[in-house]
Amino acid sequence: MSRLLGVIDATNLIEGLQDLTLNRSAASIPFAGRYRFIDFILSNMVNSGVESVAIFPKHQYRSLMDHIGSGKNWDLDRKKNGLFFFPPCFEPNENSSVGSFARLEQHIDFFKRSHQDYVFIANSYVITNVDIEEALAEHLIHDHDITELMSHDQSLEMYILKKSLLIELIENRKTSQFISISDVANQTLHNYNIGTYNHNGYVAVMNSIRSYFNHSMDLLDHSVWNQLFSSDRPVFTKVKDEPPTRYSAESVVTNSMIANGATIKGNVDSSIISRAVKIGEGALVKNCIVMQKSHIGENCTLEYVILDKNVRVLDGVTLKGTPDKPLVLRKGSVREMAVSK
Amino acid sequence: MVKKKCVAMLLAGGQGSRLHSLTTSIAKPAVPFGGKYRIIDFTLSNCTNSRIDTVGVLTQYQPLVLNSYIGIGSAWDLDRRNGGVTVLPPYTEASGVKWYSGTANAIYQNMNYIEHYNPEYVLVLSGDHIYKMDYSKMLDYHIQNEAEATISVIEVPWDEASRFGIMNTNSNMEITEFEEKPAHPKNNLASMGIYIFKWEYLKKYLEMDNINTASTHDFGKDIIPLFLNAGKRLMAYPFEGYWKDVGTVKSLWEANMDLLEENPGLNLFDHSWRIYSQNPNRPTQYLSSLAEVRESLVNEGCYIEGKVQHSVIFQGVEIGKGTFIEEAVVMPDAVIGQNAIVRRAIVPEKITIPDGVTIEPENGSTEIILVTEHMVEQLRKDVIA
Repeated sequence: MSRLLGVIDATNLIEGLQDLTLNRSAASIPFAGRYRFIDFILSNMVNSGVESVAIFPKHQYRSLMDHIGSGKNWDLDRKKNGLFFFPPCFEPNENSSVGSFARLEQHIDFFKRSHQDYVFIANSYVITNVDIEEALAEHLIHDHDITELMSHDQSLEMYILKKSLLIELIENRKTSQFISISDVANQTLHNYNIGTYNHNGYVAVMNSIRSYFNHSMDLLDHSVWNQLFSSDRPVFTKVKDEPPTRYSAESVVTNSMIANGATIKGNVDSSIISRAVKIGEGALVKNCIVMQKSHIGENCTLEYVILDKNVRVLDGVTLKGTPDKPLVLRKGSVREMAVSK
Repeated sequence: MVKKKCVAMLLAGGQGSRLHSLTTSIAKPAVPFGGKYRIIDFTLSNCTNSRIDTVGVLTQYQPLVLNSYIGIGSAWDLDRRNGGVTVLPPYTEASGVKWYSGTANAIYQNMNYIEHYNPEYVLVLSGDHIYKMDYSKMLDYHIQNEAEATISVIEVPWDEASRFGIMNTNSNMEITEFEEKPAHPKNNLASMGIYIFKWEYLKKYLEMDNINTASTHDFGKDIIPLFLNAGKRLMAYPFEGYWKDVGTVKSLWEANMDLLEENPGLNLFDHSWRIYSQNPNRPTQYLSSLAEVRESLVNEGCYIEGKVQHSVIFQGVEIGKGTFIEEAVVMPDAVIGQNAIVRRAIVPEKITIPDGVTIEPENGSTEIILVTEHMVEQLRKDVIA
């Protein structure tokens, strides 16, 4: 039985991703055609043998709850342990650092009741495929109080510590003035022994539209794809009963990821296409991210555009962003051709 | 136990020997179809879409894959507290193991399962066909016509009628005669192997049939004639729409190709009648900058660098650079190397086709090649030599 309790802090509001988080928390932003951000950390935990995972959401968590459901898709619908969803009891003071003690304190009983000795605390906006068991082994060998997972010099904002220490930090937060795990890890004015574990795989920190766009495009590099979607450590997600993707006689698709249920009649290059997307005849979609159920009409030209879910781009529309500033079309929006007077 | 109005019994024990190597280790209903599905998904999805929530699946031949695939039925929303899906393999009695000796015998041996739900009607299905059908409409028809048994029929071309079990009917669609593969058919309404019975009569005739030593214990050949001879009211329920028996390599290939038509007879993209299956959970498919994919269906987890024309590609397939696939069905996790040609073929699960080989029918042949391990081994030797 795993000694680790998994905690996903999904409370963080990422300013830079605002266009994509109007109706959802960052944890449930679609990524790679068929996933949501949280799928990666949740799958990392499950693949590392973690049997008990607590999710702490805050902002706009309806879509996150809908996505996670009972946890069945991650094999976390268990009689013992499994998945726990802890909505906020009240609004604590804004605090956007990972592992907020005020927030965890709301459900401190959960930590006290759990039998696991160690806690792995992660955020939901860093995407990678990491072996947490190995990180725990390092943590134990070096006898750190807190181990921070790093990728070279960058913090993954994921931490391992003893559960008893976490409870102590939470209970003493008013006197210690530490507000979160990341706060403790970043400060030096204490006696805790903070170690690091270096993770070598691909890491995507999603903190702006630009980083979201660039990391999405990285997926088209097969070595990145392999690092994130290794078959020994699969990424699980909510399954949808979509049929296979359908390509028409006219379709031209190159260097792209295409999810199930899509119908492609136009040209697609260097793009990420999600489930049940439709791309009309004569359309050109280049360097774009198209989320679930969006429809692109005939003879449209789209470059450097991110289409959120259920967007309608009507026939003949041309939309262009730039590599540095991709254009974002908000969920459910409709774009039609400008009528010339 | 809450009494059920209608219980479905799905016959899924068929060996499907005309599918050759595709069914050496799996039963016919478990054969992959349509880029994502297995044949049985269509019948199970029809059940759940028709709001029939109690389904007994009768398995016999090579049941391992089929049993684990069906599981507790969650994929089809058939994991129910009262009812749901139950796999019914043959079992041992004090008197010994009794294999299912015919379709009727399979149901007879599971009468206790049906009795458990005490339904008014029993729907008998086969897990061998590709079609979408609302069984609840057929049940309404059965009830409205006050029939003792109703058999779903489909019009087939007259010149093919002698290949089917033909129902001869009067102008009211009452069945007057059943002829199995008649040399000179009098009608072109073929039985689809879908029956609705009033349980009290079916039970009676199954019991009668069981003690008849001359019987082959088959629904078409033995049970239907019992109903007819007793003067029971048998109705033919005319079905219109796509329906295909995929019992041979050729028909399995054709049914896959049918999905690629501009407006296919069977639309997989209709959200109001979804076909459910165990989702493989593979990463999003990737088409490289060299890929050319047209008129095809491609599933999750594929990595395509070659050219794919008019083909059905299942999950996890890899297609190498310079390779050309045309009019082919490539089943899960097959790997096709570089600079190969595969035309008019079915490539079974997990087969690896080496670089540079050509697999296609001889010039002018309408044959469909079923690729086998043995064939691939031979080609590999030829390439080395």
